[in-house]
Amino acid sequence: MGFSLKGLFIGNRPLGATTRLPVGTIATVLYVAFICLPILALLVKVLQQDNALASLVDDQVIMALRLSLFTSAVSMVVVVMVGTPFALHLARSESMVMRVVDQIVELPIILPPVVAGVAMLLAFGRQGILGPPLSQLGISLPFTTTAVIFAQIFVAAPFFVRSAKLGFMAVPREYEAISQTLGLSPWRTFLKLTLPLAAPSLLTGVALAWARALSEFGATIMFAGNLTGKTQTMPLAIMTAMETSLESAIALSVILLALALLALGALGLIGRSRWREST
Amino acid sequence: MSDAAMNAVTTSQSVGWIRYRIGQFTLEARWEVEPGQILTLFGPSGAGKTTLLRAIAGLLQPREGHIEVGGQVVYDGEQGIFVPPHRRRVGLLTQGYHLFPHLTVAGNIGYGLINWEPQARRHRVDELMELFQLAELAERRPHQISGGQQQRAALARALAPQPALMLLDEPFNSLDIELRRSLRSELRTRLREAGAPAIMVTHDIEEAISMADTVQVINNGVVEAAGAPLEVLGQPGHGRVARLVGVENLLGLTVRSVHPQDGTMVCADADGALQLEVPLSDVAGGSRVTVGIRASDIILADTEPRGSSARNRLPGMVSEIELRPPGYQVTLACGAVDLKCHITGTSLNEMGIATGDSLWAVFKASSCFLVTDDE
Repeated sequence: MGFSLKGLFIGNRPLGATTRLPVGTIATVLYVAFICLPILALLVKVLQQDNALASLVDDQVIMALRLSLFTSAVSMVVVVMVGTPFALHLARSESMVMRVVDQIVELPIILPPVVAGVAMLLAFGRQGILGPPLSQLGISLPFTTTAVIFAQIFVAAPFFVRSAKLGFMAVPREYEAISQTLGLSPWRTFLKLTLPLAAPSLLTGVALAWARALSEFGATIMFAGNLTGKTQTMPLAIMTAMETSLESAIALSVILLALALLALGALGLIGRSRWREST
Repeated sequence: MSDAAMNAVTTSQSVGWIRYRIGQFTLEARWEVEPGQILTLFGPSGAGKTTLLRAIAGLLQPREGHIEVGGQVVYDGEQGIFVPPHRRRVGLLTQGYHLFPHLTVAGNIGYGLINWEPQARRHRVDELMELFQLAELAERRPHQISGGQQQRAALARALAPQPALMLLDEPFNSLDIELRRSLRSELRTRLREAGAPAIMVTHDIEEAISMADTVQVINNGVVEAAGAPLEVLGQPGHGRVARLVGVENLLGLTVRSVHPQDGTMVCADADGALQLEVPLSDVAGGSRVTVGIRASDIILADTEPRGSSARNRLPGMVSEIELRPPGYQVTLACGAVDLKCHITGTSLNEMGIATGDSLWAVFKASSCFLVTDDE
């Protein structure tokens, strides 16, 4: 008695067509060419330059690179420390208020960064809402390295929070319930179970947010200005270099490109290490 | 091999009652489990069984009630006691087992032993893996082992921290029917060995009868019946319970005559064509009664069986044959009444039963039971 479905399948592949459009190939070629051509042009140009290495060790370049790495690292620490518990709260809450908050999280992704910069000036600037109390404490934010970090957190945090929230949402509540009946407090359950299970999503979020922070330009120039060694990050340095020497701009661009590829590679590695579902 | 699990639990009984309200739905329950015993909560889905388990585990807070786990008060509405789940000493086995995918089988079993000395912890995990025949699978991930193995691993994980009470939420639901049968007695044995009292939720009558020491029938948040499994589920004395349990034959009849010397009485349908002998009960002659007969208690014969002690022999015609794993359900039209009978495929083939055949339905008077009507 009994029959099996095995005969209907060849290996693991179900029979039947998948949906493909005839224009798919053309669209693919167009898309890939459009993305790759400028990047290739950049690489070709930098290889043609004799003094490419010389521009790389330029003082201004080193300072911009160091500032970009420092500020983006600090931004990521803040984003992860505050963003993780916030994302968990978002993922677990069912209240109307949190649904509104959920929408607010996405706001900086949609907002033009330049607008974000102006808005931050109005909030934290000397004439801004928090200006007077801050200056009484002897703190002046605009046009400082701290302002660079503020701008980066503002634009990059949503990428981390969104990814972390989805990661936490994917952890079945049943797992947490069982962990608690096994004697682990909610805090320990988070550390031993929820966090490891959501880790790939959190790391994806860090990679995305870091890439965004590194490329931040509009909000930075409005709120932090373009002061060499203090607020001039890599993207600002590229713009400044364009005015004097194209060679330096190209060299800086290649460094930034390399960092972006690093983030992309990290994303790929994380993607492969995802836990498989047990059921 | 049972020594290992024997030392697992020393318990006093787990008792309690709760009232829990969500929207229009109110759950009211009262329970009592002795060490080493299994209480089964039987009822349709949405009856409130799982809610009750969650309340006992502390995963939700009832409105009123008093819950004791292994003699310790873990919830009391009046005194404002609420012990969080991680301090309740309950073990939970869920439908999908929910083994943690980022840990190996051994890692899952040792998960709840976080406060144990590393050596004691290793010892306990080894002991349980030995007992549950999981030793070779220690380093596998949950998705790499079979459904039955997953159930064993999840049970070992739940028993590892020596719970005072086990809660089993439809533990066989995600397994196929063959595996269910074989794992049922295994699970029962292992729970006995561990000595942990258990409350098990199910909507499968076979499961309820084979696993339980006592049964509660829950419907719509209310306990409809409670007692020994065969008493409650085999011959349910209550109309609503009978329907929940799925008694296949419920006949509306009138009492014709009583025979106290035999301990029986004769009931007949409206036109008197169908007459049944049923156990004596304190109803007056002429009163209307509902008689229940389990389909599995009816024997089919192709000639009228003479010289049989069975008091009820009814001729009829086969009107329908239906596949009902593991066997078949044959519907026999006996005058105005349809009788449903369960037989095996072998019997069906040997007797060559087909629709339109004339057969005899045979069953003892004691297989019939009176069902009180609801309102």
